[in-house]
Amino acid sequence: MIGLGESLIGLIKLGDIVLYLTPTTLTLFLIAVGFTVVMALSRPETQVELVFGMDGYKKSEIPMGEIKFRRYMAIVCGVATAGTMITGDIFDFALFVTLAGIADVGIVAATKKPQVLDAAYQYGMTLMIAGLPLFGAAALILGTTGTLSLHELDTIRVSGVVAVLFILGVLGEIGVAPFYAAKARLFRALGAPYIIMIHVSTLLIIVRTVEIIVTLL
Amino acid sequence: MEIIRTLLMIPVAFLVGIIFLGLHRKIIARIQGRPGPPIQQELYHLLKFFVKEMTAPETASKPIYFGVVALLIGAWMLGLTVIVNGYNFLILLAVFTMHKLVEHGAGLSSGSPYGKFGGVRSVYSTLAEHPLFAVLAIVYLKTNSLMISDIVAYQSTHGPLLFQFPLCALATYTIMLSKVHHSPLAIVMAKDIVTGYKTEHFGVLRAGILTGESIEIFVLMSLFMLVYIGPAPLWGYALGFILLLVSLSFISALSPMLAPYHSVMFEGSIASVAVLYYLLKGVIL
Repeated sequence: MIGLGESLIGLIKLGDIVLYLTPTTLTLFLIAVGFTVVMALSRPETQVELVFGMDGYKKSEIPMGEIKFRRYMAIVCGVATAGTMITGDIFDFALFVTLAGIADVGIVAATKKPQVLDAAYQYGMTLMIAGLPLFGAAALILGTTGTLSLHELDTIRVSGVVAVLFILGVLGEIGVAPFYAAKARLFRALGAPYIIMIHVSTLLIIVRTVEIIVTLL
Repeated sequence: MEIIRTLLMIPVAFLVGIIFLGLHRKIIARIQGRPGPPIQQELYHLLKFFVKEMTAPETASKPIYFGVVALLIGAWMLGLTVIVNGYNFLILLAVFTMHKLVEHGAGLSSGSPYGKFGGVRSVYSTLAEHPLFAVLAIVYLKTNSLMISDIVAYQSTHGPLLFQFPLCALATYTIMLSKVHHSPLAIVMAKDIVTGYKTEHFGVLRAGILTGESIEIFVLMSLFMLVYIGPAPLWGYALGFILLLVSLSFISALSPMLAPYHSVMFEGSIASVAVLYYLLKGVIL
């Protein structure tokens, strides 16, 4: 049994990266992998936009070169998110979250819409700033408890201040309020499959963070 | 055994859910002085949609356009499994995540501007709804477990959590309110954007969405009853379900639809107040 009352399905030791599987983390992992596969196999939609001043519409499509780059970044984002779901190490979690954030920016960085690029730039700035509390919290956890393993931290109570720092870091990295309330602007870019990966990574990381915080406290 | 129990509960959850959706419309109509549709109207809708042709806009991203409907039904069946067998609450949070992805995916995948508005509103509302749902995790600090079966067992000896965590209960109630039709918080399927993310999903696909929503309303009400009321006889749960629905219908009938930002601010404020209150009270840290 682990702290949340769940049974441990198994541990996968990959050097210093120790993945652990519980019904919750396995479910989250499968969602991340499932979405990544569907996204990789999907072609983007054609956006229909109304033309103001007349009774007409125009169709917007994504050029193939842009599709390739955005699909690649979305796959990177999916892999990072999947890793975030099953890692059993706080430092690796922080690394995966950061990688997912960078890939999120990459997904929209290839678009040509100025307002989307502006939002991506601001999100990138937030990402960099949030790295300090996130990795700082991981360092403080290691310094005060002597371990980064979530499995071991389950039996050790971590200071509330560290937990708050950790939460602030994750919120900044995934670009949600109170740090960056305009992430939704990113979703105005074309390309539903790739844009949804940003949403997938954000939401799944929130769920995993809740699990980690509950484990730490 | 767990699989059989879940399979048996699927038709029950679906029927109770779809009748409740009809009852919700009926109560709203009566409050507004209209006769309203019959209670089984949503079931008629569903049966009608199931025999319609299945088509997709030529502009749609097909795998996502079709996939989101299967995902919605699958997600809430997983949610039902969690509720019936008392599994970890965090899996329900993952189910809720999938629901938000369905709203987003359905809205964006069709290429329709109305669907896209619904999808983008879904992203905005997620910023408040997700923390609102996650607030329930605070009860772990009292129960030492997030397994729903353990939370119910805790209440059998310590009394309902509704009185110990009223703000958490308010947060979960707000989530339910945001998910019922005609609610002031249901900005993702508001009439000003036709039907939001569902605009371009018609025929069999709309029937699939309605099936998922029926199971969803059952799962959310069950979650509220199990986590905040605890063990009760069957008639107690039935009464609780009806009281919850009537209260939701009253709010939906008497409140105007909030603007998207106001809706998000309202939900976000409840989540923030709940977290700050329990922080100050010393429950969290």
